Amino acid sequence: MNTVDFEEAATGAAAAAATTDHAPPAVELDGVSKRYGETAAVDDVSLRVREGEFFTLVGPSGCGKTTTLRLIAGFEEPTAGTVRFSGESVAGVPPEDRDVGVVFQNYALFPHMSVGENVGYGLNFADPPGGVTRDERVAELLELVDLPDAADRDPESLSGGQQQRVAVARALAPGPDLLLLDEPMSALDAQLRERLRVQVRRIQSELGITTVYVTHDQEEALAISDRVAVMRDGAPEQVAPPRTVYREPATRFVAEFVGDNNVFAGRVVDVAEGGAVESDTAEGGAVESDAAGDNAGGDGAPRTVGVDIGGETLRVAVADRDAPDDRDVPDDRDVPDDRDVPDDRDAPAVGDRLVFCVRPEALRIDGGENRLRATVASAEFLGETTRVTLDWGGRDLLVRTRDPLSGEVVVGFDPGDAHVIDD
Amino acid sequence: MSDSRRGRGARSLRDRLEGRLLTLLAVATSAALVVAFYYPVGTVLVEAVRVDGAVTLGVFAEILRDPFYFGELARLFAGESPIAVASDLASPDRRLGIVGFTAYQAALSTVASVALGLPAAYLLARFEFPGRRTLRSLTIVPFVLPSIMVAVGFVATFGRNGTLNAVLGALGLPPVDLLFTLEAIVIAHAFYNAPLVARVTTAAWESVDARAVETARSLGAGPLRAFYDVVAPQLYPAVLTGAALTFVFTFGTFPIVLALGGFQLATVEVFIYRLVRDLSYAEAAALAIIELVISLGVLLAYLRYEARNTVRSRGARPLPRHSLLPSAPTARKFLPRVGLAAYLVVAGLVFLAPIASMILASVTGGDGALTLEHYRFLLDRQQTGAAFQVRPWPAIRNSLLFATGATLLALPMGVVVAVLTTRRYRGRKLVDAAAMAPLAVSGIVVGLGLLRGLVFGIEVAGWRIAVAGSVAIVLAHAIAGYPFVVRTVAPGLEGLDRSLIESARALGASRPRVIRDVELPLVWPAVVAGAAFAFAISIGEFTATVVLATGADAYTMPVAIERFIGRRLGPATAMGVVLLVVTGLSFVVIERLGGEHRGL
Repeated sequence: MNTVDFEEAATGAAAAAATTDHAPPAVELDGVSKRYGETAAVDDVSLRVREGEFFTLVGPSGCGKTTTLRLIAGFEEPTAGTVRFSGESVAGVPPEDRDVGVVFQNYALFPHMSVGENVGYGLNFADPPGGVTRDERVAELLELVDLPDAADRDPESLSGGQQQRVAVARALAPGPDLLLLDEPMSALDAQLRERLRVQVRRIQSELGITTVYVTHDQEEALAISDRVAVMRDGAPEQVAPPRTVYREPATRFVAEFVGDNNVFAGRVVDVAEGGAVESDTAEGGAVESDAAGDNAGGDGAPRTVGVDIGGETLRVAVADRDAPDDRDVPDDRDVPDDRDVPDDRDAPAVGDRLVFCVRPEALRIDGGENRLRATVASAEFLGETTRVTLDWGGRDLLVRTRDPLSGEVVVGFDPGDAHVIDD
Repeated sequence: MSDSRRGRGARSLRDRLEGRLLTLLAVATSAALVVAFYYPVGTVLVEAVRVDGAVTLGVFAEILRDPFYFGELARLFAGESPIAVASDLASPDRRLGIVGFTAYQAALSTVASVALGLPAAYLLARFEFPGRRTLRSLTIVPFVLPSIMVAVGFVATFGRNGTLNAVLGALGLPPVDLLFTLEAIVIAHAFYNAPLVARVTTAAWESVDARAVETARSLGAGPLRAFYDVVAPQLYPAVLTGAALTFVFTFGTFPIVLALGGFQLATVEVFIYRLVRDLSYAEAAALAIIELVISLGVLLAYLRYEARNTVRSRGARPLPRHSLLPSAPTARKFLPRVGLAAYLVVAGLVFLAPIASMILASVTGGDGALTLEHYRFLLDRQQTGAAFQVRPWPAIRNSLLFATGATLLALPMGVVVAVLTTRRYRGRKLVDAAAMAPLAVSGIVVGLGLLRGLVFGIEVAGWRIAVAGSVAIVLAHAIAGYPFVVRTVAPGLEGLDRSLIESARALGASRPRVIRDVELPLVWPAVVAGAAFAFAISIGEFTATVVLATGADAYTMPVAIERFIGRRLGPATAMGVVLLVVTGLSFVVIERLGGEHRGL
């Protein structure tokens, strides 16, 4: 059910407009690959970015996110596939004719021009939008990025954060159709980064400009985006709104890349359909009745399975617990997300291998239905919470707590806290 | 969305014209290269394989088997047993031949240049002292000093009546005559090439990351061991670069040997010149090809080595420099400084004595008293000289005119080639090599080709095309100078942050527009330096000029100096000082002009 865009209604009118108009997506990548010799930096990627959307490509270094952005900007031409802007192919269109604004990590301000000249540079090639003069446009944009008096300054005299805001203003000045940001905040310190990302998101929402954002920082990606594409080895593993990516990661890679996670893999030993248990093992029986009781919750009880992990059987819900609510949201079917993983997945049967994850914050001390007896291995004090690594029969378990832990503890989770993923 | 894209498309019409401009410049540059380099050189080389209309390699075979050229090795080419040849080569009375001698003096010059250059690199890279930056900048000066002027300086220093003998005489020591000896040639070559070795080695030394040395030290290596393990491996490639270039330059040496060695110590290049004067074009051309093959062989071997050993260290924190004054009176602090002091004496002798001697000789009469008679001679010659005689003012005027013309040609050519060779595309190396070929080909060959082609006239589709000797000289100078424009501008372009260019493009600027608005302004100091280089190369160019200026009144200052050397040294030194002053003033002017345009 990961593909259901249940956040969509909340994330802006533009997306809704796109659904009603059935307008082509602002940016579409159709089977796009970029190969350098033998290696594929981008491998058969199909993505659609909606009009007005804040879309983020996130992944570890070398996952192809920056190359994907450069293919959209026109700095690289794909070796296969098509990039379309509003339904029109842009193959062979040089970057200067694509009407895109680009912001780089290192600001890339022209050092031999003043801040004002930098912001106004793109107006050499396009009339300022809104019928204003060049100077008015420059002033307007410096105002927008909260640097109203910086026009005559030398870019090098500005702080990193200020330089990056000038770079954003410069990219926006000619009124581009698309804003592309390549790790724009990676060179800034953590506090500044958080402030700037709020500002960038505010500006984006004000202008309603379609934005593609590249970052390796999954926290940033979750905080800023309408939708996120988590990339790995040149292709997205999952494309979905941040909450979906976090709560219902499609794959083990996404589960582990986005936030902390505990991933378990084992064999299905029994299947409980609405309370009834089919089992071919004896030891699964002790827990399963509880599981059914907790999760039944009245009508249409979710299905749970027992999974054997290192000799213990853990109960895992296999039906999506939020599914009924999601269905209420108008579903943007013309922009399918990449992997319809759970839909395709066959219902698990006894003997199948099953992989699932449980977020550290879902593991409760002395609570939950599946109980794991573990010992504290290490703890990191993070301020608000403490991240504790537990040793559970030789496996690491991550737990978030407010209270210090030590020695032997019992942690637990309910079947519904577990989320089944692709390995 | 698509509307606004079309809007930009319409405006980009002008951009497209600008795009054509770049293509046009590239075509013009290629055409200039073909007309002024590839075609003339080609015609010369063809002469080497065409005797009486038939294609033959006989001329080569003769040269290769002639002991006059190849010494004992010629017998090897003639089919004698390698063992016999090897044993004769090992014997003291071996014959080297002209090619052998050329290689031998180049090897000695390379050793001397490295020996003289390395301490300078040590001083410049590892010590801090007032004037260090200036001194570092000055290491470029010998490279652009007109070689014939330097030769005059060396004659004034080491000649029978030179400063060295004056000093020896004052000390009651017997005089020495170093002129027309191998030693003088080798020292003069070191004068030219030691600064080159020093420059490349200093640059490599400065890019050694202090953190690497600190890591080695923290792992237990002593200072010497850390130098040996961490610093030295990063210096070898640079030293080898300097050595390889020195070998190639000194293998193709001409004015220095012509002035200091005469025909007794002729190198290949000098002999080619002699053959040209004797109108033995086929033999000259064949010899030039052999010279080219050897030079290119060394260069290629070196380039292969470089490709394997290039280490790019970016953002390195350089090693901290020591003060020249020792901080503590220990032997370890003192010894290097004492060594450097001794080195400075030698370096002063090699680098300053020739220039100082030249200036001194220009104001010293035959009796040893101070006089202005040599300058008066120049003035007299200007006023009363016959038409066939070399007069100073035309020489100065020609030099300045040719240099201005050559610079105006070389600058756009160099910038275009720099732009083309810093982009990424297939065949870039080929373009690079084709564009840099003028560096490797002897000026005599270029001059000869231009003389017998464009100057004497060629028939193209029934039209007879002939250019004046002066135009040919400007072309030859532009061809000789523009690789230096490329070499100063290209690294700057290469070092530019790619995202600056991409930002400009995303903002709507076409590629040529980006060059104009972003790239050139940012590398402007390098463009100015390239212009200064091209100007200096032209002012000092002797080899092609002396071929093309024969008989014509297109002689330049270096040619005038060479013609004056024949009689007495005085007028030649006076002319040398004039050349020095004119070159120096030109640099100041170029710098000023460049400075004004900086804000472009």
